[in-house]
Amino acid sequence: MLVTLPYEMPELVTTAPIDIHRSTVLPEWVDWNGHMNVAFYVLAFDQASGAFMRNMGLGRNYVDSKSGMTFVLETHVTYDREMRGGAPMRFTTQLLARDTKRVHLFHEMFHAEQGYLAATNETMVMNIDYATRRSASWPVQAAERLEAIWATHKDLPRPAKAGRVMGLPLSSRAQRRI
Amino acid sequence: MIDLDLGAPLDRHRATVQKEWIDWNGHMNVGYYVVAFDKATDVLCEQFGCSWDYTRLKIGMTFVLEAHVTYDREVKEGDPLRITTQILDHDAKRIHYMHLMYHGSEGYLAATNELMLMNIDYESRRSAPWPEWAMPRIEKMAALHAKLPRPEQAGRLIGIKRK
Repeated sequence: MLVTLPYEMPELVTTAPIDIHRSTVLPEWVDWNGHMNVAFYVLAFDQASGAFMRNMGLGRNYVDSKSGMTFVLETHVTYDREMRGGAPMRFTTQLLARDTKRVHLFHEMFHAEQGYLAATNETMVMNIDYATRRSASWPVQAAERLEAIWATHKDLPRPAKAGRVMGLPLSSRAQRRI
Repeated sequence: MIDLDLGAPLDRHRATVQKEWIDWNGHMNVGYYVVAFDKATDVLCEQFGCSWDYTRLKIGMTFVLEAHVTYDREVKEGDPLRITTQILDHDAKRIHYMHLMYHGSEGYLAATNELMLMNIDYESRRSAPWPEWAMPRIEKMAALHAKLPRPEQAGRLIGIKRK
């Protein structure tokens, strides 16, 4: 386990949820339906995961210093409302669970001016050893920061859209079989 | 409309990992897996006449309601991708389906993508039943795909198991 990281830690944010990441829908993210394409919601959410990792002290310099990396294992998106090109986005992030090498995150994307919920993203991120590209325990400094975030997040209510399993509603399936 | 592909699963989409899909970890970024998968959705919709022409001619659109991705193995710049598609369920206006992404030459499973897709009326941008030309094709494919085993990654719940 890495004890010290070869760069300075950023100031730690422990608000619950974390509400620091902002972005804008780029023109090249818009598809033939005239709205942000499904894939770029995932890209935008990945940048929100990046902001969470940076807050843990595991930003770009974690990779550039060859200390380690973080990989997404799994992700689940609900597309709640359309976003057009140029729309400003605000992201909130709740830490749902953590262990020695993973974080289970829940992001919400809002239209930053109109305030509506545009999408949610539940995601599992794993710490990776730089040399072996295999899972490894969080560096000590990052683990300490993670515990400080967990202390403020653990009592937040669980988001209604967390833990979803996909499927058609039973009513709809019954109808079809008649 | 093209001849219906009666293969199960649908095994038509091929792609190559582009340079701009690579992130600072030196592999395809999580967002671009979905770019690749979304192209496979276009190929699926083409089977029942609801792809680019459907929107270009202002007849209708298809919107993804929900997506679940498992990232199983890394792929790098220039890697060939093969994506197969299996319809899991459908109703009057939705299709529940799953893409599996394989490394095109090495054959390993790189990722899976489970999706719920809805038909949309062009004018109102609200849900609408599949057009009449589409439904028999969807039903035919769904019946063929129903004989396949359900992919083990379908219906997953994200979580850390408590020890």
